[in-house]
Amino acid sequence: MELNDGNLQTLTEYLRKTLNPDPTVRRPAEKFLESVEGNQNYPLLLLTLLEKSQDNVIRVCAAVTFKNYIKRNWRIVEDEPNKISDADRTAIKANIINLMLSSPEQIQKQLSDAISIIGREDFPQKWPDLLTEMVTRFRSGDFHIINGVLRTAHSLFKRYRHEFKSNELWTEIKLVLDTFALPLTELFKATIDLCQTHANDVSALKVLFSSLTLISKLFYSLNFQDLPEFFEDNMETWMTNFHGLLTLDNKLLQTDDEEEAGLLELLKSQICDNAALYAQKYDEEFQPYLPRFVTAIWGLLVSTGQEVKYDLLVSNAIQFLASVCERPHYKHLFEDQNTLTSICEKVIVPNMEFRSADEEAFEDNSEEYIRRDLEGSDIDTRRRAACDLVRGLCKFFEGPVTAIFSGYVNSMLTEYAKNPGQNWKHKDAAIYLVTSLASKAQTQKHGITQANELVNLTEFFVNHILPDLKSSNVNEFPVLKADAIKYVMIFRSQLPKEQLLQAVPLLITHLQAESTVEHTYAAHALERLFTMRGPNNATLITSAEMAPFTEQLLTNLFKALSLPGSAENEYIMKAIMRSFSLLQEAIVPYIPSLIGQLTHKLLLVSKNPSKPHFNHYLFESLCLSVRITCKANPATVSSFEEALFPVFTEILQNDVQEFLPYVFQVMSLLLEIHSNSIPASYMALFPHLLQPILWERTGNIPPLVRLLQAYLEKGGAAIATSAADKIPGLLGVFQKLIASKANDHQGFYLLNSIIENMPPESITQYRRQIFILLFQRLQNSKTTKFIKSFLVFVNLYCAKYGAIALQEIFDSIQTKMFGMVLEKIIIPEVQKVSGAVEKKICAVGIIKILTECPAMMDTEYTKLWTPLLQALIGLFELPEDDSIPDDEHFIDIEDAPGYQTAFSQLAFAGRKEHDPIGDAVGNPKILLAQSLHKLSTACPGRVPSMLSTSLNADALKFLQGYLQAANVQLV
Amino acid sequence: MLVINPFVSKCELNSSDTAANMPTNNVVDQRISKFKNKGKDLAKLREKRISECVELRKAQKNENFLKRRNITLSSLPDEEALSPENDTVGLQKLLSKGRDPPLKEIIDAGLLSPFVSFLAMDDESTLQFEAAWALTNIASGTSWHTQQVVEHGAVPAFINLLASPVLHISEQAVWALGNIAGDGAAYRDILIECNVIPALLARICPDTPVGYVRNLTWTLSNLCRNKNPCPPLSAVQQMLPALIQLLHLSDKDILSDACWAISYLSDGSNDRIDVVVKTGIVPRLVQLMNSKELSIVVTVQTPALRSIGNIVSGSNLHTQMAIDAGALNVLPNLLRHPKPTVQKEAAWALSNIAAGPCKQIQQLITCGLLPPLVEVLRNGDFKTQKEAVWAVTNFTSGGTVEQVVKLVQSGALEAIINLLQVKDAKVILVLLEAVNNIFMKLGETEKLCLLIEELGGLERLEVLQNHPNEMVYQSAHDLIQKYFNDVLLWVHHLLWSVLVLVSGGFFGPHAASNGPAQI
Repeated sequence: MELNDGNLQTLTEYLRKTLNPDPTVRRPAEKFLESVEGNQNYPLLLLTLLEKSQDNVIRVCAAVTFKNYIKRNWRIVEDEPNKISDADRTAIKANIINLMLSSPEQIQKQLSDAISIIGREDFPQKWPDLLTEMVTRFRSGDFHIINGVLRTAHSLFKRYRHEFKSNELWTEIKLVLDTFALPLTELFKATIDLCQTHANDVSALKVLFSSLTLISKLFYSLNFQDLPEFFEDNMETWMTNFHGLLTLDNKLLQTDDEEEAGLLELLKSQICDNAALYAQKYDEEFQPYLPRFVTAIWGLLVSTGQEVKYDLLVSNAIQFLASVCERPHYKHLFEDQNTLTSICEKVIVPNMEFRSADEEAFEDNSEEYIRRDLEGSDIDTRRRAACDLVRGLCKFFEGPVTAIFSGYVNSMLTEYAKNPGQNWKHKDAAIYLVTSLASKAQTQKHGITQANELVNLTEFFVNHILPDLKSSNVNEFPVLKADAIKYVMIFRSQLPKEQLLQAVPLLITHLQAESTVEHTYAAHALERLFTMRGPNNATLITSAEMAPFTEQLLTNLFKALSLPGSAENEYIMKAIMRSFSLLQEAIVPYIPSLIGQLTHKLLLVSKNPSKPHFNHYLFESLCLSVRITCKANPATVSSFEEALFPVFTEILQNDVQEFLPYVFQVMSLLLEIHSNSIPASYMALFPHLLQPILWERTGNIPPLVRLLQAYLEKGGAAIATSAADKIPGLLGVFQKLIASKANDHQGFYLLNSIIENMPPESITQYRRQIFILLFQRLQNSKTTKFIKSFLVFVNLYCAKYGAIALQEIFDSIQTKMFGMVLEKIIIPEVQKVSGAVEKKICAVGIIKILTECPAMMDTEYTKLWTPLLQALIGLFELPEDDSIPDDEHFIDIEDAPGYQTAFSQLAFAGRKEHDPIGDAVGNPKILLAQSLHKLSTACPGRVPSMLSTSLNADALKFLQGYLQAANVQLV
Repeated sequence: MLVINPFVSKCELNSSDTAANMPTNNVVDQRISKFKNKGKDLAKLREKRISECVELRKAQKNENFLKRRNITLSSLPDEEALSPENDTVGLQKLLSKGRDPPLKEIIDAGLLSPFVSFLAMDDESTLQFEAAWALTNIASGTSWHTQQVVEHGAVPAFINLLASPVLHISEQAVWALGNIAGDGAAYRDILIECNVIPALLARICPDTPVGYVRNLTWTLSNLCRNKNPCPPLSAVQQMLPALIQLLHLSDKDILSDACWAISYLSDGSNDRIDVVVKTGIVPRLVQLMNSKELSIVVTVQTPALRSIGNIVSGSNLHTQMAIDAGALNVLPNLLRHPKPTVQKEAAWALSNIAAGPCKQIQQLITCGLLPPLVEVLRNGDFKTQKEAVWAVTNFTSGGTVEQVVKLVQSGALEAIINLLQVKDAKVILVLLEAVNNIFMKLGETEKLCLLIEELGGLERLEVLQNHPNEMVYQSAHDLIQKYFNDVLLWVHHLLWSVLVLVSGGFFGPHAASNGPAQI
């Protein structure tokens, strides 16, 4: 691609088309750009456009396209072609800084991002003059340019905040410090001076304050890894100025916006962070400055308003105090009674109040409100910070703090009592205060487990919480209702069971509340109560205790799903699942109606699955209905199939990818309930399950394998007779799975099911091919996981078809192969097999090889007999060898094989553990003794002589133990 | 004795051996890669000091000095101090000038050759002394300055001067040689090859003045100093008996420098440690690290502690020798020492003992190390906390179930969880490893989950899932997946990650930055 007007014109047109809302125009244009981006000069054309195009839209569009191009292509990946020519790379690096600095802000941002991506790869070695070029601009005096440089520097340096220390990283930081630290400090001082000179010039101040914020951010990055010598020497300058800025106020910079943080707030928040960093990491050096910062930050908190725009600043500031006040050597800064009272009164209480912004969120953005309030994503909120400060102060001053707050709680409750309609927010704050004081240790599962002894939770519950829950109008004061429900939920471990039982019907009533937060909390509280454990590890609340409320509970839960805003409410769906699980048989009478409602819901959400949790619990609930009902009466399985299959068919036909793994699991569950025959409806589906497209998706593999296993278990014979032409397809799946390191164990599950359940003659013709495939994989990429699965398979084969069949198939592939497998794989590796069932299979297989294989007695394989016996005894007696070669760490723990499919997505669709050997062999050690005995009687003298010549002494001792236990003797 | 302008340390950067740098990046990487797979016993985590690291901080304040300038000699007769009739006296004034003496000007003026030749003038003892004095101060400058002095042939001349019958001239030579040795391994070895050691040792006798011995000890310590390479083994063997002898004196300056020497010699591979411990000095070092009778103990305590720290970074046997000498009885006090640097050094030593077999871990428990360990985890200076974190992680990796239970009961778990908010990605990663180890060891997953959740740990872990460092995020994520999610949520995440995988997207906090191109 030449750098000429024609190409610029073409590019302009295509860029314009990528902005077209019509996908038939947009997509081809995007495709075109992608197809030409490999050409030399492409990035330079973009840079030219973003600089020179007459059309501002095209300029911005070119900038964004350029940034994305850099993001995709700049990194040179090993073994992959370099996607940007060296000439283009050089040209980009030579021009981009200037271009960035001279561009309007929208474009500057994109280019700055691009620079940091390039910098991440090339800085410092391949871009040595970047820093000096940047520093030179500090002297330009033009703060538009300076801010551009600072922004770029920030994007380059911010990774110092989270990367691990390494010599390479620190060399880079040192280089940056050497060139950058002094000019940055000079700039900092100069900027502060300029703020004074321009104290009355709003627009100048704005630019200067954004510089100061960026400088403060750079300070944070550069000081993060360790305290650099330069900054230690210049601490006085930085800290004095930071302190000054914290206490500075300028009317001109105050914003009217209530939501968006202004420049002053951003700067001060960052300074709080900087102070917190020093306090945490460089305490020794920072100590002289710390008290001043505590005073300043405290002063800041007292004088900052309630508006949302101050939230980040306030929460950062409070968090700073919270982290300092629990340090023993700063205790004295807080211990004065007046100080404590004033912190409680002026910092904590005001920040716990329910603000109008919270009220809006409660009503209009309930999802966000719940996430913050319930799920702890309130890390940056004021309430949370205030709560942390309470806990921090309690470390040394629990008594005084509790006493101060008790006074507040009482007065707020009195205010509320005077005029509930007017003053309900006082009660909300009182409840929040009690909660934060009392909750020293909180867990999701158990609620608060360790409460502050100074707060009587039960008394508070009876006097202030229960009345709200009992109020006849569930829609009155929804915030207080939600508070009350939350109180029950979080203090559930502290409250006596009678109180909880008293609360249950009240919570069920609140499921009908119109407020989304309120009925969601009610569902969540019930769900949590139902998971509590009582003595004997059973549930605290029993199905019998729930009997009087069962109908109401189920009715209200399902009704709640039809309340506005809660059609896909995951808390309600989880409560449904948990109720089913708790109530067990008690739900059976309601199932006909419930299953209808559940399938209806399923049909609706399958049109556009958007709430993964909701969908998950929906499927779990379906599984529970099936299990509970069919446990009592397996025949009812057909009515479930009638209800579910139409929806499943639709899901399969529409290829609703998110749901397929679930559908396969529910089908497995249903099929497994059938006694040993396979209904025609399933057989009709069988060929479809073997379609390659389904197996392309990783998420389908475990549940599909499990489903095929169910097919084989119930209908191995049926498949052999009526669908024999599908056997190659089935083995094709095996072949595909076995080729992948991640999925090979799944392939073995399938293969083992085939061996176990298919009539032997139906697969005779494929056996050799199967073994050849396994050998190829062994040769190409042998992993521990593969070996373990392979060993289990070989021994299962032996247990099922006999040792002679095993030896013959190996030797038919290649002469002496059987001996090689014994010597190179079975004997050295069998110790690695894990899992009781797997070990048992291996034991039985090896016993057969030892005692039922003539070739082991009379050929050159005989020399392997004793080592094999020794390996078997090792399998019985030695701890498992779980060493993994170093190069195998990439294999994920989720892939760890077990004979069972480990991937049990739906907990309530779980499959029982399957043991193909079964009760036929109780104790493999006894079986070994008996089999050896049988062998020795068949050829007297041989066995004892083989044992005495080469079995090691310890092994022999164990073996004698087995013989004794089996009460047999070798002859 | 009056000290005019005590010392100038030369190299502000790259000069210090800090224990804080101990765990290398690679170690964590390797360890974490195992972490994901299985929680079996990781390779033992005993770590040597790592020197030659890039440093951002100021050089350690309590570090010993590489070179010294302007010390007045102990043996200098008062009337020699500034004798007016001497040529070099003017220079002496010049060279002792403040921070920035005109060393280069003197070299440029071609004065080095005559100065070196003056050194041989045994019958002009005043001139000889003044020249020695001037050269010493020039050698105390940068490496370039030292190089000039050496290249003018000062080394053999100074070694000859050691034998001077004039005590202060001999002492001046000791000092000059100390400055040259302190320059680095190369000059150190040149001096050793020129047989500086026997010449120095010959000057130690009962009637040598204390001040002289102090200087001599310092020079010896510089001959033990520096790695890459370490001083030759034969030289070490020559010096050790003298050092041991010095270590039994009572002068705190001598003790300090002798301890520094031992700390340098023990800072190396296990066979180096072996040579040191075989002298039988370990009990004395433990005593010195504990010493309370000396007035300014910290100058002796610090290098003694460093030596013990080095020794316990050796083999199990070496560690056992330090334990048998009572090191574990002293460490609790050192962990509570008012100076954070001492605490840090003690915590480092502890971390290496905790990396030992469970028998040694048991001794650590018996000697009451757990309470002070938890104290520093809770309230220690950050540098100390870092070492303490390694101690806990090593402990949880090698300890028995009962030992780990003890650790948790001592409040370590709470402290660990509290630390999960520190602003240091690597420390967090090591902490997560400790948490994982505790799970692996204790087995009582449900109870432990409850405890951790109560202590606010789950919340911290959840926050860490948003950590910008990928390994931290991944480890926190793995822990939650493995232990905390009730089956359902766990499965959901699995499914979700599978779905994301299938759709070709990215999972986790990077989703936003790796998201599709935006316009």
